[in-house]
Amino acid sequence: MSAMSPRADVAVSLIQVAKSYGDVEVLQPFDLQVAEGEFVVLLGPSGCGKSTILKMIAGLEEVSHGEIHVAGELVNYVRPRDRDVAMVFQNYALYPHMSVRDNIAFPLTMSRRPRLKRGVIEARTVTAADIVDLTPYLDRKPAQLSGGQRQRVALARAIIRQPAVFLMDEPLSNLDALLRADMRTSLLEVHARIKKATLYVTHDQIEAMTMADRVVVLNAGRIQQIGRPRDLYTAPANTFVAQFIGSPRMPLHDLEVRDDGILHFADVTLTGDADVPLAPGASVTVGLRPSALRTTSSASACFVGEAKRRDYLGSDSYLEVDLGEGLSVVVRAEADAEVRPGDTVRVDADPGAIHVFDEAGARICGASVCRRER
Amino acid sequence: MTAMHTTEHKKRGAVASKDRARSGLPRSRPAISLSYVILFVGVAIALVPFLYVVSTSFKESTSLFSYPPDWIPSPIFWGNFESLFADHPFAQWTFNTLFVSGAVTALKLWFDSMAGYALAKMEFAGRRGVALLLLLSVAIPISALIIPMFFVVRYLGLLNTYWALILPPLANPLGIFMARSFIVGIPDDLEASARLDGASEFTIYRKIVLPLIRPGLVVLGMFTFMLQYTSFIWPLIAVQDSDRQVLAVGISGLQSAFLQDWGLLSAGMLAAAIPITVVFLLVQRAFVFNDLSGALKE
Ligand SMILES: Nc1ncnc2c1ncn2[C@@H]1O[C@H](COP(=O)(O)OP(=O)(O)OP(=O)(O)O)[C@@H](O)[C@H]1O
Ligand SMILES: [Mg+2]
Repeated sequence: MSAMSPRADVAVSLIQVAKSYGDVEVLQPFDLQVAEGEFVVLLGPSGCGKSTILKMIAGLEEVSHGEIHVAGELVNYVRPRDRDVAMVFQNYALYPHMSVRDNIAFPLTMSRRPRLKRGVIEARTVTAADIVDLTPYLDRKPAQLSGGQRQRVALARAIIRQPAVFLMDEPLSNLDALLRADMRTSLLEVHARIKKATLYVTHDQIEAMTMADRVVVLNAGRIQQIGRPRDLYTAPANTFVAQFIGSPRMPLHDLEVRDDGILHFADVTLTGDADVPLAPGASVTVGLRPSALRTTSSASACFVGEAKRRDYLGSDSYLEVDLGEGLSVVVRAEADAEVRPGDTVRVDADPGAIHVFDEAGARICGASVCRRER
Repeated sequence: MTAMHTTEHKKRGAVASKDRARSGLPRSRPAISLSYVILFVGVAIALVPFLYVVSTSFKESTSLFSYPPDWIPSPIFWGNFESLFADHPFAQWTFNTLFVSGAVTALKLWFDSMAGYALAKMEFAGRRGVALLLLLSVAIPISALIIPMFFVVRYLGLLNTYWALILPPLANPLGIFMARSFIVGIPDDLEASARLDGASEFTIYRKIVLPLIRPGLVVLGMFTFMLQYTSFIWPLIAVQDSDRQVLAVGISGLQSAFLQDWGLLSAGMLAAAIPITVVFLLVQRAFVFNDLSGALKE
């Protein structure tokens, strides 16, 4: 996917944007377009540059290179307040000495042109508070609120500005799991209601997969892949994405393609997609998606191996299966399946379970089991 | 028992953490008694000279040196205080001192907090240089500055004016460093958020930074006011006119080489202590800490 030229329905457009602090390159040049009303999630491990991207769009950090357009306008040299973006900070950044009401109204009281009448501000404050269900708490101070309520104050303070773009930096981290799921739903409801382009940062893949229209996967300052959640899962661009998305983690094995272009994996042979033949003699990495592998009793199973460790994850449990030759896979087992370590297990692979990557880690193709050898 | 207590405490979590200062292990009785004895001795050492001054100020000079000293003067003699206001411009001194100390404190808090904000939060060329220069100037002893300061003030034609008393103390950089250290503690995201919401630098300073460092500023203000209230050497040099003089210098002038009126002197000291005590009591309410809790995720 190459860079599109900024169009009218593109809310945010980053063109060859890069960031470095002195000699340290924090973000490599990248392109990213966010459409009007789109919910885009930036996903990556800690320190990969997610917050930095948001801060550059907000104008709180300068870009070292490239252009940022908001609503079709180049904003590189526009002051943060004139960029028409609102941000929910990683740590809320509420003003502790102000009431919830004053916190939410703050952006409006700062507005000079037009200077808003007190009645207008009050009305919009109440509306914003209502959207996030904070009306009963308007007169409290932030210290008197729970984590989830504080989070909603920060959200209301962004909503009240009616910006072209919302930037949200890990708004749900540090909340407990239950509240997190709740807030995820209510955030999406709010998004559905106001339909504004949103860039949402998280390092939680479940949050990304459940909320996003599109996900941007980042690692160490580089964009790894941009795509719909489903695409990241079924066609990970590289080994990083393959391992970062999906749980449990996909095991990887370094192998060599035989001279006849056939890849041997334990006692089976794998072939690539018909249109992408594997180069003879190439070193490749093979990954098998655990959730697409399952135990079976059928004699036509793909793999046969010895059961090792078993992890229960509620409805499913995952079983590590040793296929010999130092190769092992993780497969899904029915929770009530009676398998003990040492048992012989047969494993079936769904289509799309097997991915082949080149030496640099980029995906070459999917693969399917051709036949069992012995 | 103890275990139950602990869980009780944990349940109240947020509340308990606020008055954590109060909690602590109960100490044994002898330890408590001993600490009371030590405290009592300390208080006595601190208070006796003061009580002696109080007692002396209500005595006639003639009855001063009776031995053993009588702590409660009888009859109570008001003459020292009358003389203070009748024979000396004591009311004027008090006004001068309060005016100068108040002006210095107000201006210093304003300048220090603004300079502290700039040094703590703003990026500008030479920020480190400026900070270093200020830090160096803290190290210069005041006694080394007095003569040059005198010449500067005389050159400006400000000798014998309030300006001579107000301007020089403003240049003391210590307050800037204190203000800076308060402001450094405010999370950057708070200002970033305000900036994004349309606040100007000055608005951020006024609406976000100032309210948050208020407890620190109150302490700094009190400190500045006291220092100014008791300052002696510089007013002694910069002001000759008795009507422009401050309390510390005025009172010390009550004694001369030939006449030591201890009663009058004590009365002056006691009367001088009253305004600052009142100021302190008034300001005390502002010492209530409004901390940053609630600004960020815990
Ligand atoms: N002012 C700075 N000077 C130098 N390096 C910085 C500065 N600010 C951030 N960095 C570096 O930039 C990288 C990206 O930081 P950023 O805050 O964007 O990470 P993040 O993806 O948001 O991480 P997290 O999930 O922990 O919030 C980090 O490696 C960080 O050390
Ligand atoms: Mg971050």
